[in-house]
Amino acid sequence: MFLLLYLRRELRRRLRQTVVIALGLAVGIGLVVTITAATAGVRNAQAAVLHALYGIGTDITITMEPPPPPKPGSPQASDFGLTPGAKDQQLDLLGLPPGLGLLDEASVASVARLRGVTAAAGGLSLVDQKLTVPSAASLGPGGKPPASAFPTTSTVDGVDLTHPHLGPFASAQVGSGRSLTATDAGSNVAAVDSSYAATKGLTVGSTIIIGYTKFSVVGIVRQPRGGGSSDIYIPLARAQALAKFKGLANLNDKVDTIYVAAANASTIDAVQKEIATLLPSATVTSSASLANAVTGSLAGAASLANQLGRWLAIVALIAAFAVASLLTVAAVARRVREFGTLKALGWRSSRVVAQVMSESIVTGILGAVAGVAMAFGGVSVINTLAPTLSATVAQNPGSAPPQNVSLNDSGMHRQVAQGATHTVAVHMTAPVTVTAIVLAIILAIAGGLIAGSFGGWRAARLRPVEALGRVE
Amino acid sequence: MYTLTGVTKNYRKRRETIEALRGVDLDIADGEWLVVQGRTGGGKSTLLQILGGLDRPTRGTVTFDGRDLTSLPESTVTRVRAASIGFMFQAFNLIPTLTAAENVEAALVPLGVKVEQRRAQVAGALDSVGLGDRARHLPSELSGGQQQRVGIARALVKQPKVLLADEPTGNLDEDTRDEIISLLERLWREQHLTLVLVTHDTAIVERAPRVAEIRNGCLSIRQDTGTQPS
Repeated sequence: MFLLLYLRRELRRRLRQTVVIALGLAVGIGLVVTITAATAGVRNAQAAVLHALYGIGTDITITMEPPPPPKPGSPQASDFGLTPGAKDQQLDLLGLPPGLGLLDEASVASVARLRGVTAAAGGLSLVDQKLTVPSAASLGPGGKPPASAFPTTSTVDGVDLTHPHLGPFASAQVGSGRSLTATDAGSNVAAVDSSYAATKGLTVGSTIIIGYTKFSVVGIVRQPRGGGSSDIYIPLARAQALAKFKGLANLNDKVDTIYVAAANASTIDAVQKEIATLLPSATVTSSASLANAVTGSLAGAASLANQLGRWLAIVALIAAFAVASLLTVAAVARRVREFGTLKALGWRSSRVVAQVMSESIVTGILGAVAGVAMAFGGVSVINTLAPTLSATVAQNPGSAPPQNVSLNDSGMHRQVAQGATHTVAVHMTAPVTVTAIVLAIILAIAGGLIAGSFGGWRAARLRPVEALGRVE
Repeated sequence: MYTLTGVTKNYRKRRETIEALRGVDLDIADGEWLVVQGRTGGGKSTLLQILGGLDRPTRGTVTFDGRDLTSLPESTVTRVRAASIGFMFQAFNLIPTLTAAENVEAALVPLGVKVEQRRAQVAGALDSVGLGDRARHLPSELSGGQQQRVGIARALVKQPKVLLADEPTGNLDEDTRDEIISLLERLWREQHLTLVLVTHDTAIVERAPRVAEIRNGCLSIRQDTGTQPS
């Protein structure tokens, strides 16, 4: 075909210009793909953190603001109402961490019935504290307690076993033993985080004490990178039965978090609004709004990728398109006599325009190939050099900042809730997706088309009489 | 072949109007060899462009083969040009990236001739100008005379009714010029072409049966021997 022959010859003749335009497009395309990959990497890192904290299937979490803290010195100022006695007292206190309020378990069913909700599960995040309250006699000068008075704490999650795919436990992978199942709902069985198990020397079959009650360890579980805030997972009903809070003997029919799965991503906003209407005093948080609450270098990277990166890519792309267009128009201007001659030979304008366009499109395809290669290079550099990012998020959305627990008036203060916020380290990897490569090819060809359109427009307007009268 | 009636062509140059042709009346018969002479800027090339349908007159009519080129749409004029009008240029105007054969082939592309037939016609055209053995050479590998022969082959490969040549020997040395003139004369006689040449070249003028002169946009016939190709 003559057009292809002519095309090949012209591209080879103007090799330097072809290479310059293709490289210009390649740089723009390479930047777009690299930044897209970096953005996807940041998004994946965010998702990894959020899913690890709240479970892979969780789209929305519901929590309640805690009741106002009691005034110092009031009868309720102590969470546990402890007073040093004549003897040392061994305590095993299972209670809510500060900063969380309670929701009725009936709300779980109400939320589950909302349109767009596929499942809802309750959860109870507790803290188990083991400490020795020293006798009044053992207090040092000025009431200073001995070292044994400081509590050891473990975090305990009550898991709704009717919906094991929702909540933090959904992300846990069984390392040994087995997972918790629906038949365990009323049993004193526990799954223990692998790090905690290693620290405490626990294995499957070990016994642990939670709230003065013996639990049998049935599984050792491992949370994915960046997640897994709880040390111990037990059936929700057992957690409710054993926990105490603000004078309540137990937390039967209470949860502190409801995990919700929406039918699909597009319904999350609507479901969020429905829940807010149903539970006006609750804090309703989606993954998207939670992502906004992430702080740390991951948030910085996300901001950099979303703002500076996006604009840099757009500017580079516009510059590449502009350079390609200008060079193509300039090339057409240099070929005025050639095109004029072809028109004099009887070539229609459309055929001349097709020639210019096809040269530009081939240049665009070359740019796409080079751009994808550059993108892989850029992504490889990011993956090699990217530092480990840290992300800090609220352990339970809507929870208040960590509070101190006062043990009576003896002057013993200890921050119990270390996990009101959660900081994790994630290594960012920038994935190049097929979509990004297809986007790159489309953009490069679009760049070629735009450049070719300008050149073609110039060629179409060319009057042969002017072209032939031109002296070169 | 051609009938020009009251053809006037005005150009705007800056704020000035230039009359390149002023009411030209001219008949060109089938198979005629007409040379148009005149000073530079006198309107010779403008006349050639109007004859070739590359430009339209400001006023007047140009009838080619019974069709008024001035009233036809551009696409139709392009088709007429592709099928019936051959062009030769002073600077040869060959496409530098294409070989001699491919340059000749370019004239057949708009006619939709099949590849095999196209190649046969190209080979014949190059043979007729004595360049059968230079078919694969690029223009840069050919002499000026050879390039103009390729130009002639390109103009004639489609077997046009008329060949319009703008200073075809202007860029050639004396020997080559004579070669080209002889070649054109031979082809004119053999193919019964209508040949319209714009030139300053007295050697061509001496051999042409009919000579017109343009002065200040006005055309007059200076010589008419009535000789037709034998």
